[in-house]
Amino acid sequence: MLKDLKKDTIILIDAKLDPKHEAELIKKTMEEVSEKFAGIEISSLEISPAKNDPYHSIRDLLFHISTGKKRGMTIIGPAKIIHKIEKNPEEIMVYV
Amino acid sequence: MFHRIRNFLNSIISKIFGKKRDLKIGLYGPVNAGKTTLANRICMDWLGEELGTASAIPHETREIQMKEKVTMQHNGKSITFNLVDTPGIATKIDFEDFLKFGMKSKEAKQRATEATKGVIEAIKWLDNMDLVLIVMDATEDPLNQVNITLLGNLDARKIPVLIVANKMDLRKANLSKIRDAFPNYELMGISAKDGRHIKDLYARIFKMI
Repeated sequence: MLKDLKKDTIILIDAKLDPKHEAELIKKTMEEVSEKFAGIEISSLEISPAKNDPYHSIRDLLFHISTGKKRGMTIIGPAKIIHKIEKNPEEIMVYV
Repeated sequence: MFHRIRNFLNSIISKIFGKKRDLKIGLYGPVNAGKTTLANRICMDWLGEELGTASAIPHETREIQMKEKVTMQHNGKSITFNLVDTPGIATKIDFEDFLKFGMKSKEAKQRATEATKGVIEAIKWLDNMDLVLIVMDATEDPLNQVNITLLGNLDARKIPVLIVANKMDLRKANLSKIRDAFPNYELMGISAKDGRHIKDLYARIFKMI
């Protein structure tokens, strides 16, 4: 992933990263910071099923069991390209 | 792995002897939130000396700094702990940002290199903590990835957390924004700079240990 990020690629993942993976990504990013690569901007959103929606709740549980991830979205991009990421509970706005 | 084994053995020992050994309280948070200012205030109040240097230039703290045997007293009781001030966590460090503060290019690059190592160390030290105060700048948007990642990692490690909303002396400070962002966490507002609500913070630390 970091190889792509260093090539000015913005990555969109269709899941919310586990916090430990996020921490690991930050550590690895710091190891790669240089004059040409300042690091990353990252933001993630978890999609929660609506209350009283057993179908989606079960689907999300199965997704989590099979992949270890939570349904949602994560956007990661080089800090030199992504100026800012703003987040409110239900949406992410990326400024490039 | 070694830290996890050590923490596990410490918890067994504390259960047998009913006493926590080597208690560590960590100050974590984004850059420039006021962690070192708060650490200095705590150390001045209980030890009579500061822990580190605080500055408006980002990444002033670039290494783990620890003050051992800080004894805090409250209502006739006392606790002794090691206070750990950590470098601000960041997902990006651009040496050009330091140039704006009048730093020369070589010095700025050196600072950036040290800052990246500091972030890595801060994340590694999470496993060592018994209680973490996440210091947030109450004038900034709290919904940033650093805060979210820190809270998620502390939850995963089952480490108690107190969110400390700092800079409440500033007009733009907004405690309710932080409360709305993180409603399931213990939260309090302080000013490490002028000392408001610091005594309340000490009382809360006592309750949480």
